Amino acid sequence: MADIIQTLILGLALGGVFALMGSGLSLVFGVMRIVNLAHPVLIIAGAYVAYWGFRLYGIDPLMMLPVAIVILAAIGVVLYKLVFEREARSAKYSEMTVLLTFAIAMIVEGALGGFFSNTQRVTSPDYATDAIFIGDVFIPTGQLYAGILSLIIISVLALFLKYSSFGYAIRATTQNREAAELLGVNVNRVALVSFAIGIGLAGAAGCLVSFVFSFFPAKHWEWIAVLMSLVVLGGMGSLLGTVVASFLLSVIAAFVGTYVGATWSTMTFFLALFLILLVRPQGLFGEKPELA
Amino acid sequence: MSLAFNETSNVLQARAEHNEKLARRADRTRATWFPIVLLALLLAVPALQFVGNFNYVIHLILFTACYAVMASGWNILGGFTGYISLGHNVFFCIGGYFAGMLLARFGISTLLTAPLAGLVCAAVGYLIGRITLKTRGPSFIISSLALVMIARILFDNWHFVGGANGVALPANDLSVEWAKLPYYYAFVVLAALTVFISYKIKHSKFGLGLRAISKDEIKAESAGIDTRTYKTLAFAISAAFVGMAGAIWGEYLTYIRPNIFLIILVSVNMVLMCILGGKGTIAGPVIGAILIVAFNEIFVATLGSSEFNILATGLIMALALMFFPLGIVGTLAAKHRLPRFLNWD
Repeated sequence: MADIIQTLILGLALGGVFALMGSGLSLVFGVMRIVNLAHPVLIIAGAYVAYWGFRLYGIDPLMMLPVAIVILAAIGVVLYKLVFEREARSAKYSEMTVLLTFAIAMIVEGALGGFFSNTQRVTSPDYATDAIFIGDVFIPTGQLYAGILSLIIISVLALFLKYSSFGYAIRATTQNREAAELLGVNVNRVALVSFAIGIGLAGAAGCLVSFVFSFFPAKHWEWIAVLMSLVVLGGMGSLLGTVVASFLLSVIAAFVGTYVGATWSTMTFFLALFLILLVRPQGLFGEKPELA
Repeated sequence: MSLAFNETSNVLQARAEHNEKLARRADRTRATWFPIVLLALLLAVPALQFVGNFNYVIHLILFTACYAVMASGWNILGGFTGYISLGHNVFFCIGGYFAGMLLARFGISTLLTAPLAGLVCAAVGYLIGRITLKTRGPSFIISSLALVMIARILFDNWHFVGGANGVALPANDLSVEWAKLPYYYAFVVLAALTVFISYKIKHSKFGLGLRAISKDEIKAESAGIDTRTYKTLAFAISAAFVGMAGAIWGEYLTYIRPNIFLIILVSVNMVLMCILGGKGTIAGPVIGAILIVAFNEIFVATLGSSEFNILATGLIMALALMFFPLGIVGTLAAKHRLPRFLNWD
């Protein structure tokens, strides 16, 4: 029994981090219909910002959160201006942007590899190796902090989308781009800002990832399919769906890891992605088969 | 006279004659001699070994031919049919492992088992395509990426084929100057065959159906094309070519290991070659293969590390997609500037 509770807690703790990793991807797809394959590598870039602050100045990765968000959001603005603004007129927009973000992922990976080399890194603040014991069950503090913080960030984002007027514009654009434009929403500005927010979220996720997982530039290839499975299961563009799917899949993966074998736990995400795309491409909370 | 056209057979015959006339007109502008001369030259290159050591040149041509096979194979699905797969190195891997294990266990050269490996890959490709081709556009691209990840975990943990360490294959017993030759000829012949077959496919009714699917699948379906069978067959054929290349490549390297087949750079290279050369054209993948192999050699020789190779590959891909989405052959053809010897379509 203690085993089952332990596995459940470990799964839930990781679920929070995965939710933050997936939310930026979901937001960018919702507004711009871009499947951003470069999202995971930008998360790793965020993790390197945290690593850099930790190694050079001894700053806690959690304190680096705002810095990483600002740096990554700036990268997002540059990418949008350089690449995606002019692609909006392309005929095969959705396929084109998938390939383009794939190319960007390679560029960022190569640049990170050139600067930081391809060795495994991890930031190691005190709480990362600590754990809280409740009876027989333990909760790793690093994952606990990361999970709570990502839920706070996602809640702030959800409140912003729900109650601010700009959030209104973002949601309107997500639902129907043409109609929003007709009603006077500046969809280009909405797209730019939400792309920047999405990539900024990658930076935030990177800071949390930096002490939860060890990372190196080429690691993002595994995460592409993992994050895609979360976002597709939740329904592309649905923030709530992404959060629910993250907890669901990471708990399942934790059980598979404990009772079947550690190598098969990531397989859960890949198989889930495969099955969802075939059985219910709109995901749990998606309204129509948007990707098809 | 007009009455005669009421007979269906007369209409069909008139149409066939007209089509033949069009084909003859297209043939007059075609430089058929160029590919033949190119092939003859490539077949004669190993004679250089009599006057010195040209192993590096032979390796480069062999490597280019290998990628030309894979890119042309990918082009049948990605170029003609318009389904972009980032997971075709799975078939490279399956072909390599199938023929490689036969070589390791029974000592049968992969040069003989390559067609068999192609058939196996076609069968696997048919089954996978049956499932994944239900999705379209970005969903298909993502599902193909998931396929690579699944295959990587399976091959890394499959002890019968050596897991992540792979299997060492016996090298042939030719002397150093001639050791590469069997594979060289195999790849050059295979590349010629692939180009010829993709030409034949493009000009068949089947190829016409595939191109209709890439333009508009729903309209193609309502025009009476069995789109599901067509695209699944295209998937199987392209998987077969990639698999055959993998089979011979494994023996050439003398070992098979998941991380030579199932790395993302291999599948990106296939896609990139087609995009750079011209998706859906016959000469495009070959030109792309020559350019990308040359770029890779230059980058590795001047910059050294593989990180910059990845960066440069990504940069070329982004620039090609943004500024030449039709590729070299496609852009030139659109401007009516395509030289005759590159018009293989």
